[in-house]
Amino acid sequence: MTRDHAAIEELLTVRALDALDGDDVQALDRMLAEHGDCEECRTLQAAYADTAAMLAASLDPVDVDPAMADRIVATSGRARGDPDGDARRGGRGWMAIVAVAAVLVLVVGSLAVLRDRGPDASVNWAQRVVAFDGTSGEFTMAYVPGQSGAVFWGEGLPQPGTDEALEIWMIQDGTAVRGACVVPADGRVAAFLDADVSDAEVMAVTVESSSCPEQPTTDPIFTAPLV
Amino acid sequence: METTDLSEARDRRWVAAVATGDEDAFRGLFGRYAPMAKALALRVVRQPQMAEEIVQEAFLSVWRHPDGYEPDRGSVRSWLMAMVHHRAVDTVRREESQRRRADQAASVGLRDEVSDHAEEVVAAVELPRERRAVRAALADLPDEQRAIVERMYFGGESQRQIAAATGLPLGTVKSRTLLGMRKLRAALEELER
Repeated sequence: MTRDHAAIEELLTVRALDALDGDDVQALDRMLAEHGDCEECRTLQAAYADTAAMLAASLDPVDVDPAMADRIVATSGRARGDPDGDARRGGRGWMAIVAVAAVLVLVVGSLAVLRDRGPDASVNWAQRVVAFDGTSGEFTMAYVPGQSGAVFWGEGLPQPGTDEALEIWMIQDGTAVRGACVVPADGRVAAFLDADVSDAEVMAVTVESSSCPEQPTTDPIFTAPLV
Repeated sequence: METTDLSEARDRRWVAAVATGDEDAFRGLFGRYAPMAKALALRVVRQPQMAEEIVQEAFLSVWRHPDGYEPDRGSVRSWLMAMVHHRAVDTVRREESQRRRADQAASVGLRDEVSDHAEEVVAAVELPRERRAVRAALADLPDEQRAIVERMYFGGESQRQIAAATGLPLGTVKSRTLLGMRKLRAALEELER
């Protein structure tokens, strides 16, 4: 039996433009429910969704902060709950554990050396800006002690090799806690870490594989003591 | 195979790859669509900082929930732009006072620059042609239909708000929307052939 889709089509066009309101919202839902598994309904929905989206293509593109993608990936790297990714990152085997143990000694050693130096600057009563110590480029972090969230930015950074990234670590009680994983663009990077870093004794940055391992496997290229 | 088909196939591969945590695929989607998303958000909310936040929220959602894409409901671009548009419209309707300031921001530059991301070879060829075609399709609509479509999509106004503002019966607003969208759909399907 051929159904009449005229009313559905009319409301779908309005909904595709995000302009449907009032009783028509429920009316459309009701009609779609009455049609059940309706191929014509799906075709209309997809067609008008695509038509509405095409309207965006009439606009001249606007530049977006190129660091935004890095921020998104870095910010959500820990909270995303990507089981595949976690499994991929975690499957390193005992040889990696040995390497990690050796690296931790180096990181903790850095903590002992740098412990007395303290943060380089204070912006106001709450916010702290810390310049990392490194051999190439500048890496800086801003955070508010006791609050979640830290912003990192760097310039003149060494470019990791293919399939490599810079990984930021929070070192606490001799244990490295993974922070964010970022890839510089033209030596620059900006990242946001959704964590309270003030519990860390030292922050560190290492060059790691782009799979972003759960523990550091190389010596830090930047460190910053927080105590 | 048409360029559009190739682009869509690539977009779907990217979305599938993002679901496995592939950052390169995410950056591919971002490079291709973030400038368009920013243009759309800016057009609706008229405030660059707010537009930037909307784009960031939308792409954060892509990164965290790529499984939200359902091929049956349209293209990857439709999915992305719908996320951006929903957020932009919600923002506008929530903050009417900001909307009234919109005209003051009309001078915000909408630059003729396309992202030079390395993955944008297809976009560099395709989008300008597409932009021209979509603008032509809009221009071909009767004024009364184009005005309603634009008020809804770019102005973030609901059908009832438009009816109240113009004095048109709600039924007329809806029927003009239908007629306009049918013509746009036909024109844009022609473009994809």
